[in-house]
Amino acid sequence: MFGLPDEFTPGFLARLEKLRIRTRQRYGGLGRGMHLSPKRGSSLEFNDFRHYSPGDDFRYIDWGLYGRSDKLYIKLFHEEEDLLTYIFVDASASMAYPAGDRKFESAILTALALAYVALASGDRVMLRVLGGSGGKVNPSFVNGRHRIVELARRLHNLKPGGQFDFATSLATELLAIRRAGKVFIVSDFLMLLNSVTRGLGMFTAASMDLTAVQILGGRELNGQGLDGDVEVVDSESGERLRVSIGDRERTQYRETMLRLTREIKSFCLGRGLHYALYTTDQNFQNFFVRAVSDLGLAH
Amino acid sequence: MGFLYPGALVFFALIPALVLAYLAKERPARVTVSSVLAFRALRGFRRERFGGWPRLDWMFFAEVFILSLAVLAMAGPFIWKKTAPLAVVIDNSAAMQALTPAGKSRFEVAREKLDAALSAEDGGGEISVYVTAPQPRRVAPPFNTLTEARIALSRIKPTDAPNDQTTLENFLGNLASEARVAKVIFAGSNALAAPVPARIHPIAVGDAVANAAIGSFSLRREALGAVALHASLSIANFSPDTRTLELVVTGDGKEIAHAREAIGARGTATLEFPAIPPARIYEAKLAPDDALALDNVAYATAGSVKNVSILFISPTPADAAGLNSIPGVEVTARTPDSYSPSDLGTFDLAIFEYAAPKEIPGVNTMLAMPPPGDPVFGLTVTPTAKVQIAGWRTTDTLTDSVNFRLLSLRGGEYFGTHPWMSQVVGGDGGAIVLKGERGAHRFVATGFNPFPYLGRRNLPMSVLTLNAISYLAGLGASSNGSRTGQPWLVPAGVERVILPSGSAVAAHPGTLFTAVSEQGVYELVGPGGAKTPRAVNLADLTESDLSSSAPLKVEAANSGSAAAPLMEKSSLGDYILAAIIALTALEALIVYRRRRTAEAAAP
Repeated sequence: MFGLPDEFTPGFLARLEKLRIRTRQRYGGLGRGMHLSPKRGSSLEFNDFRHYSPGDDFRYIDWGLYGRSDKLYIKLFHEEEDLLTYIFVDASASMAYPAGDRKFESAILTALALAYVALASGDRVMLRVLGGSGGKVNPSFVNGRHRIVELARRLHNLKPGGQFDFATSLATELLAIRRAGKVFIVSDFLMLLNSVTRGLGMFTAASMDLTAVQILGGRELNGQGLDGDVEVVDSESGERLRVSIGDRERTQYRETMLRLTREIKSFCLGRGLHYALYTTDQNFQNFFVRAVSDLGLAH
Repeated sequence: MGFLYPGALVFFALIPALVLAYLAKERPARVTVSSVLAFRALRGFRRERFGGWPRLDWMFFAEVFILSLAVLAMAGPFIWKKTAPLAVVIDNSAAMQALTPAGKSRFEVAREKLDAALSAEDGGGEISVYVTAPQPRRVAPPFNTLTEARIALSRIKPTDAPNDQTTLENFLGNLASEARVAKVIFAGSNALAAPVPARIHPIAVGDAVANAAIGSFSLRREALGAVALHASLSIANFSPDTRTLELVVTGDGKEIAHAREAIGARGTATLEFPAIPPARIYEAKLAPDDALALDNVAYATAGSVKNVSILFISPTPADAAGLNSIPGVEVTARTPDSYSPSDLGTFDLAIFEYAAPKEIPGVNTMLAMPPPGDPVFGLTVTPTAKVQIAGWRTTDTLTDSVNFRLLSLRGGEYFGTHPWMSQVVGGDGGAIVLKGERGAHRFVATGFNPFPYLGRRNLPMSVLTLNAISYLAGLGASSNGSRTGQPWLVPAGVERVILPSGSAVAAHPGTLFTAVSEQGVYELVGPGGAKTPRAVNLADLTESDLSSSAPLKVEAANSGSAAAPLMEKSSLGDYILAAIIALTALEALIVYRRRRTAEAAAP
């Protein structure tokens, strides 16, 4: 629909428009918006008092306080600004495997859906791609829901590929981001847990509100398509392992995969981060609607 | 153990190649995965497996085993086995129907003794079962077990046919000479004359028994047009004393003649009944009853009692009027244009006057002055204005009682030499009357036309014509019928034959009919269901002589040596094939179940 993936039906877009991004902190924006800013401003949200100075607007004098203290105080209010939303999409080679699971396509769907929620709420969205090839995504803020089509076109040309160190790459990205805001990282997180925790920890340290969205293939999670003696090759490092896969081994593989996801989830929840897991054998629309809270969104 | 085709063992060299191919095929598939992180934990399993890499499915070994068995089967493996092939010969001739004093037939006694003799055998080889009558033959392929042979023996029944003694002697001699036969057990009513070949173990059954028998029963018509028949029977008394035998002849179930005759020890007599009334089937019974009931009964048929039906084909059908005046003759006249070969089916004989058929007729045929250039009979015809008789066969049935000196012939034709018809009457320019037989049918060709001159005007011509018709109609010859065990030619038009037992057998004209082991009246069924009876009798006084059976003189090439145990190749191919099929089926079943389980487990 209008250059958007097929999953973005009018009904789904309508449901996305009812959502907004929820943050645990207040972040300053670049313009007026719907999120309370740490700045003082003219919203209805009371912030503080200060002594009246000549030139202040009489309308904000707290007359009640004047009656009790016989001094003039001005009521200060929070400012409401837009939210700066950063969406990181993992386009490393691992997102292309297993080919039948369409992990990268699912990651793009997730990123676009999150971006649409932000744009529909009047927030600014910056889409950043980790790794990948086939085109550059201009890392600049866009606002206005109509810009979702532009974002979709940019992502459409991307091909997953290459290898990067998750923590190092995120550190570099963090340096490029000047202003704090909401961060979504969409990845399969199939890397050493240490690298994941270091990478995510840096955003926490930078006072970013972060949601980790893990995308795993349905076949990948269950070890389907692998049977007997198999030489598995790591899509990024090229590391090779020869394994014999039978029913018992497949069960153990699945338990290992689930353990890895549990560890990431545990880390995120322990740091106050949001975490959502999407396996590609699920219906995407159903997942997104049901995982609103896990994604750090709200109605 | 050995191999019939050891060269096939070279295919064993293929097995290592196939193993290598299998291993190459089973080489681990290379699969790119997003990350090997979760696979690292699995590496221990491979190391735990005996033999390490690669993993060989047990089915692989099963398939290699099946392949090895297949190569082995191709090589034709066999083992040497000691064997003693046995030939069991049971006499099933008519004489074996004779009852012993104990009340059992000789055949039953022979079978019991054979059964007892087989029990003494170790059954280490094949057992072939033979019967002797009408001709010696094996009843079935060789049996592998004594039980099978016993079952086969229990199914054999004695026939009404006699043994052909010479053939039986040669047959036993050949069996005893055969290298593949270790022992021959012969059970029959005939003893074996000394020296008995070492390999033959005779079992003689039946003591000498007094017996009376009908030797032959024949009918003949003395003259064309005569209604009554002349019956002639020969009877024999095979006993050491003079016996008075009574013979009763019935026609279609009614007694029409009987006679009583005292016959001396081992003597024979001929009984003549010159004028017995016409009947379809005649039966003669001899009394008193004795050990062999079969030869106390004989049958005869008289198909010739009926009128002779003639199809007369001529451009001048009126010439047939002279034939119609003969008693017992029915003539149907047709022109050559309206004639069809299928018309012959209901006639006894055909006469072609100034005409010739386009194919050999299926009935006895007379050709009167056939036209020149006839391609069917190929008669060389020389027309002449005056036929002059120069000579004739004096002993031929055609010339019997013909006064050729009074026979005057006018215009006619001479015949040249014919390949299968012989001259009966000859003239200056060639043959005038020819006769011959072809395809079981009789043919007469005359170089003159006798039919306009029949009657008192030309008596010799009439006699000659009647002789020819009698010859063609089969009159005057005695109808002895056939003997059991002797095949006969199926006459034209016969489609099937109903045996005395009631069962019907398909028959083809011109071929030998061999289902002739039963005594009785056979019905020959022609077009439209018309039945012609044919009597078949034992008619063998040698077979009926139960008091002094001539011993069989059997000569074998190795008469002095007992059979040494034979070494026989016993093939293992069948067992290997069975093992291959069983293993393949088992593997297929397991593969199927595995696949079903995998499909059920798939999400």
